Amino acid sequence: MTNLLEVRNLSKQFKSSGGPFRKPRAMYAVNDVSFDLAKGRVIGVVGESGCGKSTLARLILRLIEPSTGSLRFDGDDLRAKSPAAMRRLRADMQMVFQDPYSAIDPRYTITRALIEPFVVQGRYTIGTADQEVSELLTLVGLSPGLASSFPHQISGGQKQRVGIARALALRPRLLVLDEPTASLDVSVQAQIISLLEKLRDDLGLTYLFISHDLSLVRYFCDEILVMYLGRVVEVLPETDATVRHPYTATLMDSTFAPDPRQRRIIAPLEGEVPSPFDQPPGCAFADRCPRATAICRSETPVLSTAFGHAVACHNPL
Amino acid sequence: MLEVRDLEVAFGQIAPLCGVSFALEKGETLGIVGESGSGKSLTAMSVMGLLPLSGGRITAGSIIFDGQELTKLPEAAYRKLRGGRLGLITQNPMTSLDPLQKIGPQVDAVARLHLGITGQQARARTIEILGTLRIPEPALICDRYPHQMSGGMKQRIVIAGALAANPDLLVADEPTTALDVTVQAQIIRLLDDLVKERALSLVLITHDMSVVAQTCDKVVVMYAGRAIEQGPVEAIFAEPQHPYTQALIGCIPKGLSEDEHLVGIPGTVPTVMNYPKGCPFHPRCIRAEDICTKTSPSLLPRGDGAVSCHFPGAAP
Repeated sequence: MTNLLEVRNLSKQFKSSGGPFRKPRAMYAVNDVSFDLAKGRVIGVVGESGCGKSTLARLILRLIEPSTGSLRFDGDDLRAKSPAAMRRLRADMQMVFQDPYSAIDPRYTITRALIEPFVVQGRYTIGTADQEVSELLTLVGLSPGLASSFPHQISGGQKQRVGIARALALRPRLLVLDEPTASLDVSVQAQIISLLEKLRDDLGLTYLFISHDLSLVRYFCDEILVMYLGRVVEVLPETDATVRHPYTATLMDSTFAPDPRQRRIIAPLEGEVPSPFDQPPGCAFADRCPRATAICRSETPVLSTAFGHAVACHNPL
Repeated sequence: MLEVRDLEVAFGQIAPLCGVSFALEKGETLGIVGESGSGKSLTAMSVMGLLPLSGGRITAGSIIFDGQELTKLPEAAYRKLRGGRLGLITQNPMTSLDPLQKIGPQVDAVARLHLGITGQQARARTIEILGTLRIPEPALICDRYPHQMSGGMKQRIVIAGALAANPDLLVADEPTTALDVTVQAQIIRLLDDLVKERALSLVLITHDMSVVAQTCDKVVVMYAGRAIEQGPVEAIFAEPQHPYTQALIGCIPKGLSEDEHLVGIPGTVPTVMNYPKGCPFHPRCIRAEDICTKTSPSLLPRGDGAVSCHFPGAAP
């Protein structure tokens, strides 16, 4: 299996400028992340808000510039590309955004929104791509009759389908899906997920799927990266692999089963994700971790495959 | 403790809620579940007497709280109940606290107003309640502003405010929707403990069937302003009778079966301006027949619960 995407030691540091009462500070939104995404596979990235998963998505498409690390797409070094070359290459790698309400220009008709990628790539001009537009709408299960509607005239689920159609317009090979169902109702979420499954099979797509919903990720993905405060803490090579990291175990325990006969008494994880600024030394999860020992507060654990699959923990389960 | 019978709400000519009935005992949790636009928040607002704020009014039915009819209660009497014996937890903790006031005074105010105690007594109470909600260093937290706290902490403060005057009934409108999964688990567990320890009654409004499964004793499933199925939680999950309830449960990924396949519900929830004729669910229903497009089914007892469908029964 060839790798469509290779990410090595990718980091992104954000700096906040100081003010009259504040010193300038720096934090890593994404810290030393490496993974391979093989053609036709689906990798899920899961974590709570602020763990860096959306930043990771934007880094991969170079919508924001990485601080360090390397990115290879189908063998090409992405960081060596000029902005113009990068723009051409993005036809192959597209993104679906979280909030379909703000991802489409409210003054554009659906047709206009779907032609935009072609215009950007200089392939068509407005008014010459009606055929393409109706094909795209059919592809995502929408009626071509919607083409002249405005975004406010269609529902959230339909808007997300338009978002997917727009991402598919240039026939990309990689789709980065940034919480594509987070703002939708469950019934619509299930529609969108089954659409994505069908598109993957029909078009041979590769997905990077970002979500905070572990049960959804386990359902949809082949492999799972668990992130905590900018770092990958565990890579589950199979969705049913035995969980080793205490944080992943907590995430598993926090997802409720839709079955009243399986009520569980959750040992509630106390505390919340700490601020990424002024991180104490050691493991970022140590303060909330039931298994933390002295070493966890002094040395940052690195990903190691000594226990079967990659886990960054001093005291894995 | 609470009995709602044939509740109907109208905004001018539009009737977004019709014929909702349920009853809730002391120490019970009732879940009201449905997609956006199904009328679940409206039901909560009716119980809290907050409808007039948005221009709606109750056109039929009754809401009886501890023997007292609420629909005809004058506003002054309602004000005494609300925040007192009736507590409300809103969806978004970021907007339900005053950003310009410290936490302490905001929670104190509830007890001072409803229990008629002094500021000092109220503060002692606030600190005690914050402690029971597992907020670290409650005395220090009282001097903080909302923006200095995380979302999960803010939601706990909102819950503290709702508890400050010893309510008998709590209405929680999507209390965890804006929160991360680990924090959601903490808050849900907390509410569950409160119901048990204080023998509260809780109306929990949510769109998440898994939250219902984990916390509720009874469920009302709503669609397009109607209760389409209701009953004890075990029965609803073990043998849902309405095709919508079945589909809603089918939308949640269960676990690790390779053959599992998520099926969405085709189509979308109708808006209140164009509720379909007959059964409101018929355009999306796999079992729909001629009669469904013409006559609206009534909510009839079936098994341990009740269902509103011309063709109820287990999924084929």
